[in-house]
Amino acid sequence: MNCFSDCSTTISLVTKQTLELWRGTMKEVGGKFGTGVLSYFKFLKWLLMFNIFSFLVNFGFITIPQLIYHPTPDIPAGVSFKGLEILTGAGYFSHTVMYYGGYSNKTQGTGGRSEYNMQLAYFFTVAAYMVLCGAALIYSMASSFRKKYVLADSGLGGAWQLLCSWDFSVTNEKAVRQRKNNLRIQLKESLSEKVQVALLPLTERLKHYGVFLGTWLLSTGMALGCGTSVYFLCQYDTWEAATLLLPFVVSLINLVVPLFYSLFKKIEHYSNPRMQVYAIIVRNVILKMSILGILCSYWMKDVANTFSCWESIVGQALYRLVIMDFLFIMLGSFFGEFLSNVIGTKCIQSLGVPEFDVARNVLDLIYAQTLAWIGIYFSPLLPVIQIIKFFILFYLKKVSLTQNCQPPRRAGRAAQMQTIFIAILFFPSFLGALSMVAYTVWTLPPSDKCGPFRGLNTTFSAIQIWMDDLNRVDAFQWTVWIYQHVIRSEIFYFLVSLIILVFIYIFRQITQGRQLLITLLRQQIVNVSSGELSGPTCLVHQSWCVRSGCVYVMMLLKCRSNIFS
Amino acid sequence: MGNKQTIFTDEQLDAYQDCTFFTRKEILRLHGRYHELAPHLVPMDYTNEPDVTIPLALIVSMPELNENPFRNRIVESFSEDGAGNLSFNDFVDMFSVLSETAPRELKAIYAFKIYDFNVDNFLCKEDLEKTLNKLTREELSPEEVTLVCEKAIEEADLDGDSKLSFADFENMITRAPDFLSTFHIRI
Repeated sequence: MNCFSDCSTTISLVTKQTLELWRGTMKEVGGKFGTGVLSYFKFLKWLLMFNIFSFLVNFGFITIPQLIYHPTPDIPAGVSFKGLEILTGAGYFSHTVMYYGGYSNKTQGTGGRSEYNMQLAYFFTVAAYMVLCGAALIYSMASSFRKKYVLADSGLGGAWQLLCSWDFSVTNEKAVRQRKNNLRIQLKESLSEKVQVALLPLTERLKHYGVFLGTWLLSTGMALGCGTSVYFLCQYDTWEAATLLLPFVVSLINLVVPLFYSLFKKIEHYSNPRMQVYAIIVRNVILKMSILGILCSYWMKDVANTFSCWESIVGQALYRLVIMDFLFIMLGSFFGEFLSNVIGTKCIQSLGVPEFDVARNVLDLIYAQTLAWIGIYFSPLLPVIQIIKFFILFYLKKVSLTQNCQPPRRAGRAAQMQTIFIAILFFPSFLGALSMVAYTVWTLPPSDKCGPFRGLNTTFSAIQIWMDDLNRVDAFQWTVWIYQHVIRSEIFYFLVSLIILVFIYIFRQITQGRQLLITLLRQQIVNVSSGELSGPTCLVHQSWCVRSGCVYVMMLLKCRSNIFS
Repeated sequence: MGNKQTIFTDEQLDAYQDCTFFTRKEILRLHGRYHELAPHLVPMDYTNEPDVTIPLALIVSMPELNENPFRNRIVESFSEDGAGNLSFNDFVDMFSVLSETAPRELKAIYAFKIYDFNVDNFLCKEDLEKTLNKLTREELSPEEVTLVCEKAIEEADLDGDSKLSFADFENMITRAPDFLSTFHIRI
């Protein structure tokens, strides 16, 4: 137990020392704009770490062996480096180690010690990276949920505004003055608020529900419409000249349609402003994931059957998407922040200086990271592009923020949003990318002319072959046994799932019992202070009881209050 | 990396690292900041643990605290004599509690001390009124101030004594997840 805590302290110290990057910039941004806006930059830095790790792992285990044994890529005659490759990713790049097709399938090196099996290396590198990524995401999601998410909404009451809402990290004089102004305005608003009628008349409620239904149908319809248009556009992607058209249209949709969604804000009236943000987030996620889903299914069905070196083609398509997404984020920054600032200050004075829209920008980051995760298998060096992109993006957004935006007017709920963003990063984004890569590895036949898995039925058969080889060696029988009886057997996964479900049920019962106990103890405090029950013995008895179940607690306290009343 | 510095002995640095949420490098950096606040008072060599304190006026001139409405109360809560004179240990303590990795319970204890202007272990109405005035630059009318403070006490007071004890305050903090990130000063 001790050594585990020592280990974790050492790991956290080491990570803190390496994460000194951009410390000064983030302090400056936090000092002027507060923790809500700073959370975007912290998220960006965190995603950058994922990509740096992915680059190191891929470069070290896959690219370097390939470069050692085949230092010059075999490029067919007549293909030379033109500048256009940086945008399209095709041409010269498609024969280099940038994509899946540039890797050989032979076991490198002479026999004996210095053998390096490229197939196993490729498979295990990608698998290990995905597993570690997943573990890191689950861990941060769980710890963020535990620390920052509250299930009972306490509401933005006066006490909260007074005692918990002041942002201590704001150090800029103008920003502090502005926050004080905002707080004063909010306090005045909450003082003069008329008590809202809890139940609106039926016609009003029906009208609200009708409006909600309409907007949700419209937004889902728009998402599906965009998806179908992307699908039809895919059919034309095979033209040489039109390869840039598809990423252009996809990025254009991702830029323009969310602006439509934000127009719905004016029609809908949510009772809780937080529900509004959630609605925007859900709509954007549905849009982006449906477009990505259609692209992935097109790649896995049509491209895989039509082209000879299809993994490289998919890698190139992803490369183009990443580059185009970067260009459009820059454009979006220009329109979203610079132009809004100009319009707000010079043309339509009533709009004012824009605020930095954290939700929209974080969703853009999540989309960009999804592309990178899908691309790990098809283009091992895609993380390099992603690293460069995020680096430039950090400075771009920082400059745009300081020049064009003002600090947020409402003290927002940044911590809960943080949990939701990590959850979105895990659920649709990472799991989607993982399932696509897993499907490719498990079922799709690799192309037989290029790449490390040429000639095999599926990528996973490389493991099967390796296990057969190991079977002949006596020393490794235990690995073969684990492979056959644990990894390949369904019973094992069934049992594990069953055990996990049982544990979830048990923990849920304990949680419910504890929540009930909290309510009862709160009541107890009120009773104790007005002198009805004697305090300490009840509390001790109850804290013992929580371990035996919630029903017993309830009965005990009911009896007790009956005795005393 | 730490072999060349002569400011602290290795045992001192280890002790600081154990007791605070900082690494060795950060502690040395903090010492640099502490020294530059009063170069003639603070020695560069701390191996024999000199008994040096820096007065409140110099501490609140730091850019991290300069614009904070509660700067005086923050420094007073962390000083041993209650008047705001910080030794280096108090200085490190202060920024350690206000750092990102300090747990919520510790931050709640010190936040309570900061808001408790008359140091009676309760947040009574006068404390809340002073807090509100510091937060709004005294631009609310006296009636509005009283109203806001009464509403705040009504919401948070669980045991009905019309002032907030530490338990009430902590209960409110647990329902405010942003507190961990807003009660945070980067250094």
